[in-house]
Amino acid sequence: MMRRAMALVLIAGALATAWVAAGPAAAQGPIVAQFWYSFGGTNREVTEAHIKRFNESQSKYRIEGTFQGDYFEALAKIRAAAATKTAPAAFHVIGEAVPQLAASGLFENLEPYAKGPNGTDLEDFLPGQTQNTYFDYLGKPAAPLMVLPFFRSTPILYYNADMLAAKGVKVPATWDELRDAAGKLTVREGSETKVYGFEVPVDWWFWFALLHEAGGSLVTPDGKKAAFREKGTEALQFWVDLVNKDKTMKRPPGKDYNAWTVTNTDFLSGKVAMIYTSTAFLNHMTENAKFKLGTAFLPGKVKQAVPTGGTFFVIARDAPPAQKEAGWAFIKWMTEPAQTISLSKATGYMPIRTSAVNSPEMQAFYRQNPNYKTAIDQLRTAQRFPYTPALIEIQREVIQPNLEAAVLGIKTAAEVMQAAEAKANEFLAKPQ
Amino acid sequence: MVYLYPVAYSAWVSLYEWDLVMPARWVGMANYRALASGEFWDVVVNTAQYSVGVVALSQAAGLVLAVLLNDRTRLGALFQASIFSSYVVSWVAVSLLWIWLLDPQYGLVAHLLRLVGLPAVNWLGDHRLALPSLVLVTVWKTVGYPMIIYLAGLQAIPGDLYEAAALDGAGGWQRFRHITWPLLTPTTLFLLITLTITSFQGFDIVKIMTQGGPVTATVIYVYYIYEQAFQYFKLGKASAAVVLFFIAIVALTFAQWRIFRRRVHYTA
Repeated sequence: MMRRAMALVLIAGALATAWVAAGPAAAQGPIVAQFWYSFGGTNREVTEAHIKRFNESQSKYRIEGTFQGDYFEALAKIRAAAATKTAPAAFHVIGEAVPQLAASGLFENLEPYAKGPNGTDLEDFLPGQTQNTYFDYLGKPAAPLMVLPFFRSTPILYYNADMLAAKGVKVPATWDELRDAAGKLTVREGSETKVYGFEVPVDWWFWFALLHEAGGSLVTPDGKKAAFREKGTEALQFWVDLVNKDKTMKRPPGKDYNAWTVTNTDFLSGKVAMIYTSTAFLNHMTENAKFKLGTAFLPGKVKQAVPTGGTFFVIARDAPPAQKEAGWAFIKWMTEPAQTISLSKATGYMPIRTSAVNSPEMQAFYRQNPNYKTAIDQLRTAQRFPYTPALIEIQREVIQPNLEAAVLGIKTAAEVMQAAEAKANEFLAKPQ
Repeated sequence: MVYLYPVAYSAWVSLYEWDLVMPARWVGMANYRALASGEFWDVVVNTAQYSVGVVALSQAAGLVLAVLLNDRTRLGALFQASIFSSYVVSWVAVSLLWIWLLDPQYGLVAHLLRLVGLPAVNWLGDHRLALPSLVLVTVWKTVGYPMIIYLAGLQAIPGDLYEAAALDGAGGWQRFRHITWPLLTPTTLFLLITLTITSFQGFDIVKIMTQGGPVTATVIYVYYIYEQAFQYFKLGKASAAVVLFFIAIVALTFAQWRIFRRRVHYTA
């Protein structure tokens, strides 16, 4: 009953949006197209400001932006809209969802647009930020161009430089150093921990970093089998030890982004000395930290490794051609060097064009704000995600909801990973 | 028709694999088999624990409050109104309020515990306490409803029965045991059925307070359906769960009605 009611609400919302979109377009004037986005807070304001600038920069197209909840809520709405053929012309998605949605035929092939008369310079997109450097095609031919980078991020280490200086602790570069530093930075009074040395959301994204740092990978090179059991256990065990044995890491409560918010709040209020979180929060941290803020690469184990994240622009294949044209014009404009520079400086997300990073403006900005350079330098350690429709299922159903069980002591890390590998293999074996 | 169509539609979808976007693929009973072999039984156990806790506690607390506040003074009315007010407030507001009250570091409850020298408790972050915490918050929110229904039931009991019992020398407990309780059984049955059904439909509190966590400790039935449908996009599996839910509610209501029919005293 509930499901039914929710589907109806979603469909009604999608229809209303479609009706609004079709209304003005029927009259004379600019081609109006919808853009759905998933950013709250500052990033929402930045996104809205750029939509406004795009609309003012020309008169042929008008983009109407709508906030659709976080990444995962927005995915549900996109699917509901697609089911009723009312998807917005342009939207953005997390990378992990791309293979599955592409297999569903949701995305327009962007190659004809990028190489057409109103094209863009694909060569100028920064390696590490593009579809082909985000995905490992597992020995198969590359998929056609379906996504362009929008807000792109990577996890970095944030530290309270005042606390590290007070204890004479140097910024950790390896797991052992991190563990050691967390111990030295933890402050206890009786049974109460006043300051934790370290905090990180018990989350897929950070686990993926640890998995690769330990020398593992998600799937076998041909993508047919899961391959994360041994090294994934090692990664998870690292957290289990820090939380339960050393008691120097705080496990932030809450699911998905709730835990991220707790981590950021604890760090800013001085309850924790070092955290892992996205470079996306750099502006927020810089503005709100009442201490000297430092950023660094994630500490490595057998190597240094990070995932990348954030989102990619896409165009809905089912949208009317005129709206797709408007959507493309908007995406092309948003990914131009001038816009990627202002988007990056206003948020902490990384610029996505080589010419933007090398521009005098950005170079001067990096000299003044060295914290902003960490993420872009760390890109050279970025790991690719396997291009398989099972990727989003492995993330959302197999890994993400189960990591916590080990840290809470309900299961051992090995048990969690053994069950996860079996389930991942089921998803990988499904006919695609 | 309005009620049966969604159920029939769910029954049909439950035989397919469907993610809203790709064409649905016929899989027969595979969704039901997937439910039977997976985490579904944990969800059933969670739901049963939540339901039994909510129904028993809110019914008991509602009865106690109704008996205590069964007078027509202004003070009684004030208490009744303030207790009932939380029933009227939205689930979202109540959930957010209690997230704040139960916060292990900054919350009022932790503060009160510290005042009496007890350690802070991580109510929602501990996988053994999270579900009982949700039960208590639900009871806090909904107790006004059984209270009001019981008050109505109490006021329908003729006063001369109590006078006659008092003349026969019956004490307070005996009057409750032999007059009040038997004559409230229709009310109790009604509450048992309605509270069971509403507790089965618990969703908002989970979505806002715990999102089913820690791990899966607070995934109750409707939240599970939501998760399968709108987090994992397994519409077929979610629909199979809907069908089983419908059957379970009909069966349970029928069973409650059968059992109680023999023990309900409809007239004085």
